[in-house]
Parts: sequence; C-alpha cells; structure tokens
Amino acid sequence: MSDNKLFGTDEAEFAKPLFVPIKRRSFFMYAGATAGATALLLAGCDDDDDDNTTTTGTVSLGSGDVGVLNYAYALEQLEAAFYAQIVATPYTGITADEKTALTAISRHEAIHRDFFKAAITAAAPTQIIGGLTPDFSKVNFSDRSSVLNTAKTFEDLGVAAYNGAGSLIKTNDYLLIAGKIVSVEARHAAYIRDLLSNGTFADSTVVDNNGLDKAMSVADVLAAAQPFIKDKINGDNVGK
Amino acid sequence: MNLFQIIREIEKVDPEIMDRLTHRRSALTALGDISKKMALAAAPIAIGSAFNKAMGQQTLSNVNDVLNYALLLEYLEEDFYAQALSATTLSANLSTGSAALGAIQTIKAHETAHVALLKSALGSAANPRPASFNFGTAFATYASFLTFAQAFEDTGVRAYKGQATKIKDAGNPNNVLTTALQIHSVEARHASHIRYMRRAAAAGSISQFGWITNAESNGAPAAVYGAGNPAATFPAEGNVVQGGLTLTSVGGNTYTAAEVSEAFDEGLDNTTVVAIARSAATF
Repeated sequence: MSDNKLFGTDEAEFAKPLFVPIKRRSFFMYAGATAGATALLLAGCDDDDDDNTTTTGTVSLGSGDVGVLNYAYALEQLEAAFYAQIVATPYTGITADEKTALTAISRHEAIHRDFFKAAITAAAPTQIIGGLTPDFSKVNFSDRSSVLNTAKTFEDLGVAAYNGAGSLIKTNDYLLIAGKIVSVEARHAAYIRDLLSNGTFADSTVVDNNGLDKAMSVADVLAAAQPFIKDKINGDNVGK
Repeated sequence: MNLFQIIREIEKVDPEIMDRLTHRRSALTALGDISKKMALAAAPIAIGSAFNKAMGQQTLSNVNDVLNYALLLEYLEEDFYAQALSATTLSANLSTGSAALGAIQTIKAHETAHVALLKSALGSAANPRPASFNFGTAFATYASFLTFAQAFEDTGVRAYKGQATKIKDAGNPNNVLTTALQIHSVEARHASHIRYMRRAAAAGSISQFGWITNAESNGAPAAVYGAGNPAATFPAEGNVVQGGLTLTSVGGNTYTAAEVSEAFDEGLDNTTVVAIARSAATF
C-alpha cells in the first residue's frame, strides 16, 4: 500500500518523454539553456506550440511553467472574488471572529491573485490570461452553510491543485513559491473545515490512510472549478 | 534544559560544531540575549539560531538523505504526540470524547502514517528511530504542550517546503516530490488546527489564527519563525518580497505587511530545522 503510493507512480509519466515530440522549449533545455534564458524562452514560446489560439470564448492557460502560473492565477482569481463577496455581503449570524478571519483570507487570496498577475506579466507578458468572470449563482451568500461549504470546496481544491502541479513546474523559484502558497491554502482549508465542524481540519475525506492530502490533475481540478467560472478554461497543455 | 548538554548532543552528530562557532562563549552570549526576550519554555530553541549562523546551508546530498531527514522529523512528531496522549498532566484536557483528544489522535495517526510511508519508501536505507525523545517540560501544562505542538507543526511545514527544489533537482525519482507535497499540506492543516486550539485555550489572549502573521511566535520559539540559511532563499516568516516583487503594493492594490506575510509561508534549510528540533528535544 504505502510502497505503492510512493513508488507506484504511473508508468505513463515515466514513459511520456519517449513519446512526446521534442518541443521548442525541450530543445532549448537539451541545448543547455540556463535559467537566465528562461524568461526569454517563455516569452518566445508562443502561439505556434502553445495552443493559445482556441475556439472563441475559451481561455487557454498555455503550456509549460507559464501554463502552471496561469492555472494558479485562474484559481486565485476565483478564490479572491469569492471571499471579496463574502466580505461585502457577510452571511447571517457571522461572528466577529469569523468576520476577522474571513476578511484576512480574502486579503491573502487577493495578494496571491495580484502576485501571479504581476509575476506572469513580468515573465511572459503576451501569455497572461485575462480577468475571469466568476459564476457564484449557486452560492447563497446570506447562508453560512452555503458559503462555508463552498469555501471548503475551493480551499481543498486549491490544496489538491498545487500539490498536483508541483511536479509540473520546471523553474525552482516557481516551485518554491507554489510551496509557500499551498501551505497557506491548507491552513485556510483547515480553518474553514473547523468552522463547519470542529475537528474536521484533516479528516478522512481529504487525508488518506497514508496520511497524504489530495493531489489532483489539472484536468480534474478544472472540471471541479468550471461550474464556478463563466469562461471556458482549457488547461490541456499546462506544464507540458 | 541544560544548554551544554545540547551542545554536546550536537557535537555527537557534528564534531566540528565548535570549529564552526567562533567560540562557545559567543554562542551562549547570543542565546542569553535572545532568551531574555522570550518565554522561559521557549528559551532553549533560540540556540538554534546561534548555531545556524555558524553552520552551512543545505547539507542533504540525495533524495534518500531528504527522506531520512523527513523521517527523523516524523519520528519526533509521532513520539511527541504519543507521549502527550499518555501524559497524566494532560489527561484532564485531553479527556475521553473531547474535541481536543480527537484532534490530537487524528494528528498522531497522520504522523504514524508518515513514518510508515517514509520507512517503506526508504526500505533498508531507512535510519532507525532514535532510542528516545526527551521533551523536557513540554507536557507539564496543556498550554506548554500546545505551544510545543505549534512549534513542531510550523517547523514541519517549513522543513518540507525547504526540500521541494532539492527533490526536483535530484530528478524527482518515483515522483517523491508529489508525495512530499501531500505530507507538507497535511502538516499545514495540523498547524492551523493547533494554532486555533491555542487561541481557544487562551481565551482571547493569543490573537493568532491558523496562519502565521509576520514572524510572531506568540510564546513559541522565535527561531521557528526566523530566517534560515541562506536567508535569501529561506527568509523569516515576516518576508513580504516574493519573486522579486514587494507585495505590499502590487497590481494597483496595497496590503499591509502583516497580510502579505500571512499569505506566504517560508521554507527552512535542514540544518536550521534540525538545530531547532535538537534544542526542543533531546534525542
């Protein structure tokens, strides 16, 4: 069991490099491009192999590290918009303590959003996704249970998304920053869960028998997030 | 806590520690300065930062080293909670059926699972469990126990985070990176809950939430929230600069330094982490 969990990664992942045609970025890596060239590379890695031109109305996250950054930026936009709404229209019966904490979380998510926007703009100005339009029509913002259960979904999803995306990141600085954010999302998740039911901060619905949190693929995360976003998101090439 | 005992312990694993320190007195002087500002129970851990300045940075050379380092921390955490669950001084607070007992049992079970997982991953390369962990007066009171627990969990989060790029650079064999991240976020969930338990137990006198504001330790050892080595890679938890961007003003919005510090946790190098662990527990 545990052995399999740690070592039994899908062989497909290992075999993948054998089947994927060498893309422009890969070529540069093999050619010995250094970290310093990465920004240039990301900027130059454009429409031709990035699938940025897609059906009208669809937002493509792009490929490689920029794709991962756009992926995170999309999720942080969603979270920031959600918490901003909570702060603007607090649910019935909100306590002072809850209001303080949820306001703090709204600031954290806004900082994450603004950080990614600035970082992607600096690294790959032509490839950053625009502002997304959230769809919170299924959330009743006056109802505590509706709000906190949605928050739980977003926070657990955020943790699983970052956990799953870590191994897709090629640049060390980005990996470290993703690590700095995911643990804050996990702290949020634990707090929200405890608000709903004290002691559920890491219950068996999110932590398995090996003591591991979830790690989800880009496709699975986007499928779960899509109902809350009006724009259609395409993450097919994230990390590739 | 016997400080000379701590130094002797570190000498066992690092015979050159005294060469690295300019001289012993300077380390103890640094400790004295810091301990005046800290709660008594927290004082021993300050020595970690004194050693930290004298020692090198990341010293783990391969993935097995990283996993054994993680295993040591998990041994420590597992033993810490096992001792807490059997401490008569805590039985009134960790009473049968209480939320507190349930939470500590949940956390303990996760640490046990982490030990098993890391041991199975390492196989014959797994380091043995230390003969014993002595946590001194950690279990004397419920407040002290929770303070130590917060220190260990917040340190654990920083420790795993600090190894992510190391695993990646080693080629991420068997996707160990994902597994490490999955443990890392569980430790963060633990930290959040323990911090909230402290807030509840202190009935308002500790204003912290589940996240880390600035580098505030609230009675936990200051070194847990301090800078690692190198500080440029592992800044203190109060850091407000990420990816070269000062985030108190970004994207046309302004945020307080406290808010920015809360939004990002920071990593720590293994040398600093082990020094912190060895100053909080004898093993």
